Amino acid sequence: MRTKHFFLTLAMFLTATPFMAVSQSTLTGLEIVQKAYDRPEGKDMQSELTMTLINSRGEKRVREIKQFRKDYKTVEKKIMFFMAPADVRNTSFMNWSYTKKGKDDDQWIYLPALKKTKRISSDSKSDYFMGSDFTYDDLGDRHPEDDTHKLLRQEKLNGEDCYVVESVPRDEEYMYSKTVSWIVKDKWLVIKKDFYDEDGEFFKTLTAKKFDNINGYWIITESEMHNTDKNHTTNMKLKNIIIDGGIADNKFTERMMKRGLR
Amino acid sequence: MEKLLYKILKYPWLVVIVILAISAGFFMAMKDNSRMETDLDKYMPQEHPAFVYSNQAEEWFNINDGIIIAIENKDGIYNSGTLKKVKDLTKALQKMDEIEKNDVTSLYTADNIVGTDDGMDVKAFYKRVPKTPEKLEALRQKVRSNEMIYKRLVSEDEKVTVIIAEIKDDVFSQDFYNRILELAKSYDGPEIVHVAGRPIVEGTMALLGPADMKRMVPIVLIVIILVLLWVLRSFKNTFFTMLVVTLSTIWAFGLMAVFNIPIYAVSTMIPVMLIAIGVADGIHLYSHLDLYLREHPHASREEAVKDMLHGMWKPVVMTSVTTAVGFISLLTSEVYPIKYFGLFTAFGVLVAMLFSLVLIPAGVLLMGLPGRKKTKEHKENPNEGHIAFKFAEMLVAHKSVTIISVAIISAISIFGITKVWINSSFLEKFEKDSDIVQTDAFINQHFGGTSTLNVILQGDRENIFKQPHVLELIDEMQNDAEKLPLVGNSFSLADYLRRMNKVMHADSAKYDAIPQSSDLVAQYLLLYEMSGDPENLWKVVDYKYNKANVTLQLKSDNSRAINEAIAVIEKYKEPLAKEHVQIRYAGSGYKGLVFTDLILEGQIKSLLMSLVIIIVLLALMFRNFTIGLIGSVPIIITALISFGIMGLMNIPLSTTTALVSSIAIGIGIDYAVHFIERYKIYALKTRDKTKTIQETMLHSGRAIIFNAFVVIMGFLVLLFSVFPPNRSLGALVSLNMFTSFLGTVTIMFIILYSSNIYFKDKK
Repeated sequence: MRTKHFFLTLAMFLTATPFMAVSQSTLTGLEIVQKAYDRPEGKDMQSELTMTLINSRGEKRVREIKQFRKDYKTVEKKIMFFMAPADVRNTSFMNWSYTKKGKDDDQWIYLPALKKTKRISSDSKSDYFMGSDFTYDDLGDRHPEDDTHKLLRQEKLNGEDCYVVESVPRDEEYMYSKTVSWIVKDKWLVIKKDFYDEDGEFFKTLTAKKFDNINGYWIITESEMHNTDKNHTTNMKLKNIIIDGGIADNKFTERMMKRGLR
Repeated sequence: MEKLLYKILKYPWLVVIVILAISAGFFMAMKDNSRMETDLDKYMPQEHPAFVYSNQAEEWFNINDGIIIAIENKDGIYNSGTLKKVKDLTKALQKMDEIEKNDVTSLYTADNIVGTDDGMDVKAFYKRVPKTPEKLEALRQKVRSNEMIYKRLVSEDEKVTVIIAEIKDDVFSQDFYNRILELAKSYDGPEIVHVAGRPIVEGTMALLGPADMKRMVPIVLIVIILVLLWVLRSFKNTFFTMLVVTLSTIWAFGLMAVFNIPIYAVSTMIPVMLIAIGVADGIHLYSHLDLYLREHPHASREEAVKDMLHGMWKPVVMTSVTTAVGFISLLTSEVYPIKYFGLFTAFGVLVAMLFSLVLIPAGVLLMGLPGRKKTKEHKENPNEGHIAFKFAEMLVAHKSVTIISVAIISAISIFGITKVWINSSFLEKFEKDSDIVQTDAFINQHFGGTSTLNVILQGDRENIFKQPHVLELIDEMQNDAEKLPLVGNSFSLADYLRRMNKVMHADSAKYDAIPQSSDLVAQYLLLYEMSGDPENLWKVVDYKYNKANVTLQLKSDNSRAINEAIAVIEKYKEPLAKEHVQIRYAGSGYKGLVFTDLILEGQIKSLLMSLVIIIVLLALMFRNFTIGLIGSVPIIITALISFGIMGLMNIPLSTTTALVSSIAIGIGIDYAVHFIERYKIYALKTRDKTKTIQETMLHSGRAIIFNAFVVIMGFLVLLFSVFPPNRSLGALVSLNMFTSFLGTVTIMFIILYSSNIYFKDKK
């Protein structure tokens, strides 16, 4: 479950539906979050991700990843191959995320230097994804029922009309005490999100720097997470995006992990 | 000068009032502005290359001193009660403002990298406190099989577990210290909660040392007052002598407050110095007055004061100026607190000189001559057959005895000096049976060690620390260091890679080694970043993999332990240099070592420098170079014996004990100057060698022995201090006073006598 809808946040999209703009003012916080959650995602997607990690001293580490995702009814499968840096080239990572509640994700990693595929697991959604400032949970989308939502206000952000929704987790042990999201009206994209830690203190913010309409889907093509506590930033850029281009089912196998990029 | 003094003393009341008014001003400044500096980092010269580098490295790898909280359960820690305490205490520490959440390490927060049949897992050891026996047993097995945790966070006998909370240097305060201790205490029972670690040691020391001084100084003063009363046989004289000492101390600290300079630990030595030196002027002045009155029983106040100033202003000024110069030479030190110590002690000495020359005569003029019991003994045979005469004659008659004794003592001392060792340990400043030492020993017994040394490796290019042969060298270096009994543990990137390599090969011990290719290293590290907390990695390696931090855990913070470990590491300097990797060191233990070396180096430099300056000054003052050399004899002997005894008695050199040698100069020179000045006066007056030595011994020798006696009695009180460094301070000050005194009246006296100075023309 951990990386469920990983692609969703990276490439949130929805069909342009201007007709839905009726009676917006009566929407509740839950309804707004639900709309963002329910956006159609396309059946499959492939793209190239450039992940740049920047530490407090301004030092950068850049990783380039080729990734594929495909939706099945009961499972979402994804596979990613590292293209750079050179010493991890062709390291691949596969994740099967099940819609059935309580069923843990299956994860594999293939290390070319070891020539072995290994299953890995980690028990926490609060783990950071590949040393970035995103947790697995930040990348997936959290089910609206897991939090209580409150529409705080409506305001313009970067020229977009946004709903500002505060979400407080029902589980008190959760890693965030609350989040505040700016969700664009009509596009239902989260273009900004502030995170508050267990003690209720603000500590990181997610910003969508660019979004684009591809094949009729709204997609965030560049997002940035800045952790103000550690003064660490992760920038994620997508390029060469293909949606519904058709990906073969055998792409998501251990054999393909080993084969690597051609 | 003399005339100026007479002029000023025409208005004795005015003098007293002006001085008291200024003192009141300084006192107010002191009250408003004085603050104690407890942050030890502030003591260190931040611009010194070793500190610059260490501070930088501390920032790179987030190296901080850790407070160690050990939770001991005699029945073993694997029960839900103890594990809940670990969790709760961890969370309580994480919530403290002074502690970063990520900087608390315990069984609750640690990552468990485990191998499974077909893969790897990075998990917490527990999130919810395990309750059933099965779950508790499972946890025990998890810990046992993880060499990164077992014996590091949980003791081998499974009865103790530690929580390490790293704190930043500048957040430590007395309040924080108290809160930590209270927090730990609230978790006591049935478990025993121990608190240790360098911040706690430093904190306790910063509180205990000055607190003990505060308690002891009044007692020292009372004893000195009592002895002064007995020696001077006058309440008035005692009062004015003490007034001089007290006011000069107030002026010194007041001036510090005016310039907004905080009180450092060494500054607490200023009153010590001023007491030891300040009483000397008073004693010599009153001693002169006393002798004058014996010879002129019916002299008026004015006549007595005039004679006192005429006879004594020169030696008082000379002694004070030379002493001040001795302290000013401490300005060459690279350590600011020492510079300030030298500067303000010098200021205090000069102020004490001024007060002695002004306040004491003013006191006599205002309050009348000291009331003396005119004992019969003195009237019947004034001075004749006095013990001083006999002593002087005896010395001259048996010169060789003194010379040979001094030669033997010097030889033994020099042998002792070769055994002197420097100790930067904080812990060893405490009583062996004190809580803090016991706790430290307890933790050292169960874990790697309470002290750390950070070895910083810096490569010339990115990703150098992904190279297997470089990592193997590091691993080998760690193994070698761990062979030392004082090195309990070490930790580096190599440990992560060995663990992962093993885990990825189904926990096979064969693979508990550095992976064979740099690609595999890179891929393991990526894997770790994907599953674990990369923040942990940045404590052992930097972002670009061109710097690494190897942490050695030491069971002692003394300089010998650190130097031993460094000696082993240095063997790897060359092989690593071949790989273009440089070794340097960081961390508070290392800084402490460098700092102590700096202090001592500065101290020895300034000691030698002031010796030269003083010889020159004396030569100028007496217009005779030989006198300069003779005058330096008591200083040299005092310093020799002081360091010699430290070596022989295994008292390590530390910041306090090293500073005591300043006293050797300050006081040794006083005695010498007074003695030589008197000798000169009598020589020119009597033109008779025997008479000269007799009178000198009576006049000067008497004052010197009084002075030595007063200060020795006062400082012997410190032997009852509860803080060991203050005890050695008391012992060493007393010793130095004694050897200065003895050196002056014996060997210097004999050399002076044999040199025939002031008798040449007659001969």
